[in-house]
Parts: sequence; structure tokens; C-alpha cells
Amino acid sequence: MNGMLFAILAATIATVFAGIGSAKGVGSAAQTSMGVLSEDSSMFGKMLVLTLLPGTQGLYGFIVGFLIMINCGILGGNAPTLMQGLSYLAASLAIGIGGMISGFAQGKAAVAGISMCAKDEKNFSKAMVSITLVEIYALLAFIVSLLMVISIPGIEM
Amino acid sequence: MAKMKMKSVRIIALKKDRKRLLEHLQDSELVHIRQMDEAEGGFERTDTTAQIRQFEKNKMLTEQALKILDKDFPEKKGLLSSFRGRREIEADDIGKIAASSVKVIGVCTKICDLEKQRADIAAERVRIKTQTAQLEPWKDLDIPMNTADTASTAVLIGSFPRMYDEVSLSEALAKENTEIVFEYEILFSSSNLTCVVLYTPKRQKQQTENALRSLGFTRPLNPTSRTPMEKVRRLKQKDEELIEKTEKIQKSIEKYVKYRNMIRDTQDYFQFRAEKYKVISTLDQTKHIFVLYGYVPEEDSQTLAALCEKTADCIVEFEDADENAPVKLKNNKFTEPAESIVTMYSPPSHEDIDPTPMLAFFFYFFFGMMFSDAGYGLLMIIATTVAIKVFKPDKKMRNNLKLFQYCGIFTVFWGLVFGSIFGDAPAVIYKLVTGNEITMQQLLPWPILDTQKDALTIMIMSIGLGLVHILVGMGCKFYICLKQKEYAKAFFDTGLWMTMLIGFAVLAAGMAAGQILVYIGEGIAIASAVGLLLTQGREKKGIFGKLVGGVASLYDITSYISDLLSYSRLLALGLTTGVMAQVFNMLSTLMGTNVFGIIFMIVIFIIGHAITIGLNALGSYVHTMRLQYVEMFSKFYEGGGKAFEPFALNSKNFKINNKHHE
Repeated sequence: MNGMLFAILAATIATVFAGIGSAKGVGSAAQTSMGVLSEDSSMFGKMLVLTLLPGTQGLYGFIVGFLIMINCGILGGNAPTLMQGLSYLAASLAIGIGGMISGFAQGKAAVAGISMCAKDEKNFSKAMVSITLVEIYALLAFIVSLLMVISIPGIEM
Repeated sequence: MAKMKMKSVRIIALKKDRKRLLEHLQDSELVHIRQMDEAEGGFERTDTTAQIRQFEKNKMLTEQALKILDKDFPEKKGLLSSFRGRREIEADDIGKIAASSVKVIGVCTKICDLEKQRADIAAERVRIKTQTAQLEPWKDLDIPMNTADTASTAVLIGSFPRMYDEVSLSEALAKENTEIVFEYEILFSSSNLTCVVLYTPKRQKQQTENALRSLGFTRPLNPTSRTPMEKVRRLKQKDEELIEKTEKIQKSIEKYVKYRNMIRDTQDYFQFRAEKYKVISTLDQTKHIFVLYGYVPEEDSQTLAALCEKTADCIVEFEDADENAPVKLKNNKFTEPAESIVTMYSPPSHEDIDPTPMLAFFFYFFFGMMFSDAGYGLLMIIATTVAIKVFKPDKKMRNNLKLFQYCGIFTVFWGLVFGSIFGDAPAVIYKLVTGNEITMQQLLPWPILDTQKDALTIMIMSIGLGLVHILVGMGCKFYICLKQKEYAKAFFDTGLWMTMLIGFAVLAAGMAAGQILVYIGEGIAIASAVGLLLTQGREKKGIFGKLVGGVASLYDITSYISDLLSYSRLLALGLTTGVMAQVFNMLSTLMGTNVFGIIFMIVIFIIGHAITIGLNALGSYVHTMRLQYVEMFSKFYEGGGKAFEPFALNSKNFKINNKHHE
């Protein structure tokens, strides 16, 4: 028995949970920005940027999922051993959980940033920077997951 | 490469020259006018609110007229027209615009009048529509609705708010009053409306009316002297007339479309005049002279003096500017585009140095590292170059395009370092053509850093670059403190932390390179820490307070560590671009190499890379900005200055071809 099932589960967890975070974050940001746009459609560019900011978590999750697939024999590489499969599963939890919760949080920050920007366009850069403050935690989770995933095939287990 | 040195200027001139002098100043765009709240003793102000209001009113009129024209006859604009620069006109053309402004305002008034007429007609048509709808149930009535009683018979026309048929109505009436005799005809009946015409002997009219009223009978509002059919026909006729009228109005408005550009010019013209009169209202004046206070960059001061003296009899005095002077940045071609990033944060304050040169390099460099694809970088360079050449955009837009052009150059550089050209497109194509697997590493003739395999190396590199970035920021702080002669702050607060960070860096390098560096690094770090311990409590009282202050300051190390870790985003975003591109390359080859497969490949390739570019360019832009604002600016930059905004012709539609400046 090899660890294929767990590797697939890992890829799913990374992609789906981080995706949920982003989907919720971007969703609520998009709702707010559409409210703003209904008043002043000229702000579309700025609103788009702020709306997309919570979207990166999903991307990170997807990349981790993709790298797992590349490494574990679905899109190349060799089938993992049982322990390797379980290790993938463990590694994917970082971006899965970190991405999801930071996505929720960043979505809230984006909503507030959009309201701030709607009041005065000059606040745009401040809003943008404040929203990216949340991002670092998704990034850290991503890097941890990533470093683990790329080193697992090299470890004998 | 810095903040321009400002001079404050005082121009004293005769009142008769006021208009001419101000016009020249506005044309030259050299002076930032200082607005004083109160007139100085002995001077007075001219109240120009009435004129300003008139100009703004005219401006508003042009705006409305343009809105109407744009709504009915939208201009055909290209998708990329927002890049296009303003139309250039000669300085003399302003005179022409001024001369035609009365006529143009006339045109605008007419356009607005026509629009108002059209709105009235639209309202009238709605009224007709309601009236027609109200008459609809009565269309079977073949006598006028206000038909009077005959000599012996009363005619009652009206409706009940419920449904009746021949039987139930008779029953209902009989129930009310058994004595009355009547004859009626139901014209229309629905669940909540029954229209009837009812005849009754004239002597019973009163009784019948009472009976009917208790059943909820009401006479129609606005009964006409015509039959309902006739009335509807007339209403329809009137409606057609109104439609025709609307079309006529539309045609008359169309006649004015050719004035569109003139209206725009006039709008700008009134904007200029309003601004000029706003300045006039802030001038200190006596009976014969006026005084204008302002700021001017030192290098322009001689030009300004020459201009004023040529235009009018006046005295121009310069002094060194005070703290409240506005800031104008001057940078070379390479760093100038990044000025907008600095001003977006906040223009530098009096104490600040101009951070643009430092920011510019790191902005381009980090953007490149995060976007990191030679193909995308090349696209950026080509697109921005073409846009600059073709559209000849205004200065601001040109600088924005330049910003991305420089970012593009670094993107190409990092793309080559990471071995990414549209992801691994060359390797994929190689495999498609020859059938052999190949990696980018083997394909490219230079050694590359693979973002996936060498992730750890790149992460260390990212943090190393972050250290340099932070040290540059701290170096700026050090320099500022030295300039202000605050040596303790410079050496103890900033310098010691810098040596501490350098010590750690040497120590880290030593772990890889050799034990001797570890000892050196440790030595530097410990010495710095001791230094901090001894100096950071220097403002506290008592030996105990000093010691606690010193120890507490060491806790700041956490903030430096988190700042440094923040640079790991350089790796993360770089990797994201590479992997996304790779994914789309893989997807595009899924359908094989038959004709259908090739078409599929091209479509997926284009769409996929467009998505990658969109998402990652945005991410790179946002995150490189954050690294500048949060990590670097927090080390030294205060901001809060006021930007230099010269008294100028701020036009939206044209720019004046002027020799003195761009």
C-alpha cells in the first residue's frame, strides 16, 4: 500500500480550504465594492485592486496542491510511500487552515478598506497597505507548506 | 535627485497691471501661491465671490451640456483612449476660446433648454398614458362622459369598486331601495371595477343617487364632453405630436454636437478664470498696489523675476523658504516615475529627505523579482513603449507607463535568473517538437535558480535583500539625524541597530562559509547589544531606569525579525508566477498535436497567461509597494509635506504649447 490516497487528500485540503478563505474574502469585498460602484463607477480600477487582495490565499493553496500532484505521481514523479503520503497531508494543513482563516480576516479588512477608499480616494494606498498586512500570515503558512512539500520526496520514509 | 530648494517670493506691483501679471504667472506655472487667511495690517482684500460664482455657474452649464451631448450622441472612443494625452494648442488660442466663450455659453444654454423641454414632454406623455389607461374601461360608452340629464331622465355614469353583473347589481340596488326604477348598462366589469351607465326617472334621481352612493358608486374624475373613444383618439394624436416634437428636439441637439470640443475648451477657460479670481481674492491690496506671496523653486526664481519685470513695473523679492514651504521633487529619468509612489504615501515633510531614488530602485527590483518572467517582462516593456510612442500621454500618465517599463526590465532580468520565459514554455515547445523531456535548466545556457527546487536558497536570498533594503532605510535615518546634529540618535538609536543586524548577517553567513565569520558576527552583535543596553535608557532617570530602558529596547529585535521575514513574499510571489504559468502551459498541451490540439493550445496559452499576468502583476505591484511603505519607510520617512501646486492653467482638455517648461 502506498500513500497515494493521502497525497490526493493533501492536495485537496490545500486547494479547497485556502480556496474557501479566498472565496469568502473576495466575495464580501466584491459585494461592498459593487455597492460603491453603483454610486460612482469611475472607481472600478481601485475597487478591483482592493477586491482582489484576499484572492491570493486560494492561489497559494492551489500551488501547494499542484506541487503535491507533480511530486506524487499524478502529474509526474513517483508514487509516495505511506509515510510520505501522510507527510503531504500534514504539510498541506498549514496553507489549508492558514489560508482559510487569513482569507476570512483579509476579506473583512478589504471590506473596511473599500469603505474607506469610497469616502476619499486618497486613502487608497493606505487601505491597500493595511489590507496586505494580513497577507503575511497566509504567506508564512504558504512558505512552510511549500518548503515541506518540496522536500518530502527526498526524505526516505 | 532630491527636494528642490524653495524660495519664498513677494511680488509687489501696481494694481493696473494685476490682470496681466496674474495671467502671465498662470501661464508660466512657476509660483505656488501662499494663501493667507487675513490681510496684513493696512491692506485689504477684494471680494470676488460674485465673479467666481458666475464662472462656476458657466462651468456647470458646460458640464450639463456636455453630459446631454454625451448621453444622446456618445463619442466613439477607443478602449485605450484614457492613455491619450491632452490636445496641444498654441498660447494664442486661449484668446480665441475666450472670444467665443459667450457664444458657447449661449449654445450650452440652448442645449439645456432643449433638454428641459424634452423632459417636460416626457412628463406630459406619461400623463397622457395614464389618462388613456383610465379611459380604457369606458371605451364601450357611446355618449360623452359628462352627458347631462334629459328633460325626464337622469343619466348617471360611474363605477363601483367591485364586481357586478346584470343580476347582482339589480339585486344590490333593490336591497338598498325597493322603490326606485332604473335601467342600466354594464360597460366593463372586473374583480375590482364595474363601470356602468344608469338611467332613472328624474324625480327619483336623489333616491337613486343615495342608493348608488351606499354601494360605493363614484363618478369619473375629469369627465369629458366627448365620447371616451373620441377622447382616446385625441390623446393618441397628441402623443404622436409629442413624439414628433421630441424627435425635432433631438435633431436640434444634434446640430450642436459639432460644438462639443468648443464647449470642453470653454469649460477649461472658465476653470482658469475661476482660479484666477480665487487668487485675486487672497491678494493683499491697497488703493494702488497689490502684494502676492508665494513659493518658487530656487532654480526658477530668476526666470520668474525676469518674467515679472518684463510684464509689469514690479518689485520681486526672494527669501529663504520657511518650514511650511511646499515640496517639489526633482529626480532623474530613471527615478522620476517612482515619485508618484512617494506622493501616494505622502510628500516628504520639511525634515525628510526625498526617498524617491532609494524607493525607485528597490521598487523596480522587487517588482521584477516577484513577477519574475522574461516573457511577461518583455510584454510589459513592449506595451508601455508602444503606448508612450503612440498615445503621447501626459506627463503623469507617461510616468506611470515608465514605471512599468522599468519594472518590466527587472522582470526580464529576474525571469532569466529564475529560468522562466512564459513559465517553462520553451521546454514545453521543445518537448512537443522533439518528443524529448527537457528542463529549463538544461535548455538555457546560463545557470538558473529553480524557484521550486532552490526555494530555500531563494528564500535566504530574499531575506538577504530585505536586510539590504532595511539597512538602506536605516542609513537614511542615520543621515537625517546627522544632518540635524542629533548625534546620539544617529549613532545609538540607529547606528547600533544597524551594526547589530550586520552582525547577525555575518553570523548567518559564517554558518555557511566558516567558523571564523561566526565569531566575528557574534562579536559585532554582542558588542551592539551591549551598546544598546547602555545607551537606550539614557533619557530615563536613575541607574535602575536606565538599565530597564536598555533591556526593554532589546525587545525591538522582534520587530526587525518580523520585518525581515516579511521579505519571504519575494520568494512566494515569484514562485506563484512561475507555477501558474507552468500549470497553464501543461493544460495547453493536453489535447495533443493534431490541428484541434494546436488551436486549443494557442487559446489556452493566451487566456492562461493573460490570467497569470493580471493576477500576478497586481500582486507584485501591491506587495512591492507594501515593502516600501511598511518595511522601509517606517525606518526613516515621516511624510506629511505639502506638494508644490503652482498657480497654473489646470485644463482637462488641452495643454498649451509653452516654451518655458514641459
